[in-house]
Amino acid sequence: MNRRRMIAALAATGLLGTGWWLAAGSATPEPAPTTVAMAAPAVAPPGSAPAPAAGLGPRRVRDPAELAAQRALWQQRLQRAREVRDAYAAATRYPPESRPAAEHGDQLHPGRPVQETMPLRMPGAPARDGFQLRSSQDRIYLQGDEAVRLSVAAVDDAGQPLPLAVTRAIAHEAAQGQQRASRYGQVDVSFRDDGQNGDTQAGDGELTLRWQPATQGFAELDGLIRIELSLQSGEQAGYAYFDVIYTPAAPATWLPGAREAVQDGSLNLLLKLQVQQAGRYVISGRVDDANGKPFALVGFNDTLAAGTRELALPVFGKLLRDGQPAFPLTLRDVTGFLLHEDRFPDRALLAAREGKVYTTRAHVLAEFSSAEWQSEERRRYLTEYDKDVAQAEAQLRQLSEPATVAGP
Amino acid sequence: MAGHGRTKRWALGAAALLAVMGVAHLAGATNYALWVNGRTGGGQLGNYADFTYWGPASTAAGVNKKSVNWDGYNHISDQNYLVRNALDCYCTGSNWCYVAAHSAGDLMMGYTLAMYGGSTRNVKNATPAADGTCSNAGSSTQTGWNIKWIDIAGGAAGGSELANAGDWALSEPLVSDLKTATARAMYDHNSTRSKWFYMYAGASGTLYSAVLPGQDDEAIAYHSSGGISGTGGQSLCNPADWFCNDLNLGTAANEGGSTKWSYHSVSFRDNNEAYNHYTNGNWAGITSLMRQDMVTNAQ
Repeated sequence: MNRRRMIAALAATGLLGTGWWLAAGSATPEPAPTTVAMAAPAVAPPGSAPAPAAGLGPRRVRDPAELAAQRALWQQRLQRAREVRDAYAAATRYPPESRPAAEHGDQLHPGRPVQETMPLRMPGAPARDGFQLRSSQDRIYLQGDEAVRLSVAAVDDAGQPLPLAVTRAIAHEAAQGQQRASRYGQVDVSFRDDGQNGDTQAGDGELTLRWQPATQGFAELDGLIRIELSLQSGEQAGYAYFDVIYTPAAPATWLPGAREAVQDGSLNLLLKLQVQQAGRYVISGRVDDANGKPFALVGFNDTLAAGTRELALPVFGKLLRDGQPAFPLTLRDVTGFLLHEDRFPDRALLAAREGKVYTTRAHVLAEFSSAEWQSEERRRYLTEYDKDVAQAEAQLRQLSEPATVAGP
Repeated sequence: MAGHGRTKRWALGAAALLAVMGVAHLAGATNYALWVNGRTGGGQLGNYADFTYWGPASTAAGVNKKSVNWDGYNHISDQNYLVRNALDCYCTGSNWCYVAAHSAGDLMMGYTLAMYGGSTRNVKNATPAADGTCSNAGSSTQTGWNIKWIDIAGGAAGGSELANAGDWALSEPLVSDLKTATARAMYDHNSTRSKWFYMYAGASGTLYSAVLPGQDDEAIAYHSSGGISGTGGQSLCNPADWFCNDLNLGTAANEGGSTKWSYHSVSFRDNNEAYNHYTNGNWAGITSLMRQDMVTNAQ
């Protein structure tokens, strides 16, 4: 075969192959299962009707109902494919490490207590009208010398306070599955309503415990501590528990010397760590504008080797250009941990850096790039999503062509 | 002109080669539908053909379906390697995945993406050994996995009040993960690496209606199955209930102002209170609707 003929043959092979792919969709090595144990869906599932003709050679007459079902199916797939592609393209203008604050609304105030309400009752017992238990907990994960603040209060269905007594409260390492017996004893703890030690107001009916595991015999525990309460409000008995996940020692320590740098069109906030334990660190920080308005959630999720390390929390250039925050920006509430794979607890916490950590200098937006984030990952996804859209569009085009009659 | 002819021939040759390479690439590309179970488990770990948790394995459930079994008993973090193994096997290189998850499988998938979604993965050969691991398909690596989107039925990423109140066995490690405050603090639920979670929320629950706020499917309340951000305990209901805020469809904020986690969209709200939480070994309950969507769109 001469060179020109070989090229033509290769091209024909490629075009035929492409045509086949557009018609057939992705490869399906397993035979398509057909048993459907439910009512028929609004659109016919694949396999319930013959696939549309590939556009090569004569086609059989298509039943109008079947054709309509196929069109509806591919219209639905096209809608999903476009929705997913367009949303991904818009979202990934900024990298995963530098996101708009509005996208992470529940991550902006990590120290804010979790407040919940549930019926005041014993486990498994029916709930009684008029008895609710309000609880709050300001952190789930603790390390080192950190303390947790817990509170409980009884209220009626209108939210009015009811008397509440904590008849017994204990803290202990929570038994977990087939775990060995704990070597940590249980300790009594005392919830109080005297306006001291974490209790905000004496006599308001909210009973509070501010509790530091390290000083209560759990300093070496790497695990789950459960604080269990027996409760009584009038004639109504109840039960509640709080869990805290405690790790004794930080795997790295923060060092002074935060700084900033404009790098590759973005504003990097650079923090120093003395890493004692190498591994994957997951760190996040909150960035407010000059008016105190949350602007971005910035993060780091990568491996760090032992030693002195400087990690970057990036405020992406285009995010700055699009959001136009008032400078200077403030980095606050930096939290993080060393992630342990495939074990519990899955993390060793860094000491939380609560409040303001760093304030940038004033910048003009022109210092930053307006380019969208680019990466192999993003290209890979957009290529695949574009392919899915093109495939669905091609199928719909084929289904819109007039049917050709051929043979009996 | 001779030079022009040579250029043209080279261009033709390059185009042909690219076409052939494209076909070769596509020929090796396979889509998979991965099913991630919830609490109780039941399928053999690492056996991607064992659909015991869900129902008959002969039932259609999306293209090249695989059952990603974990024990549904131990902590999410303890069991997470089984999910990463499956994603490495089927969702790297030229292969792509759709994922369906039920109940605590929601917590499992969210955790996986938030913690490991940007990690470097070895491209695998999609031929699992008995333990569910696959060999490297060469020396290439990639960032994260190839996941097109995720369907969630009865999602427990926001926890369940049944774990809060001691109604479920407190010695069970997974129950402590499912405590609402713990589930919501475990990871940033908005960090899906921009992959969509399509939520299917059932509402036929009656037994625990005094404990589970708003509508529930007998195990999970709308605040979790609808992917609602913030603390647990929020009461969200169907529009027919005038005394409770509506769970709104799609990504819209709910009546009363509560919002969904980013990249979470409510695909189904159970207005007729017809779907409960349980598969009943026959793809039943709210899972039946997720399966229908997988059959339709995961191809």
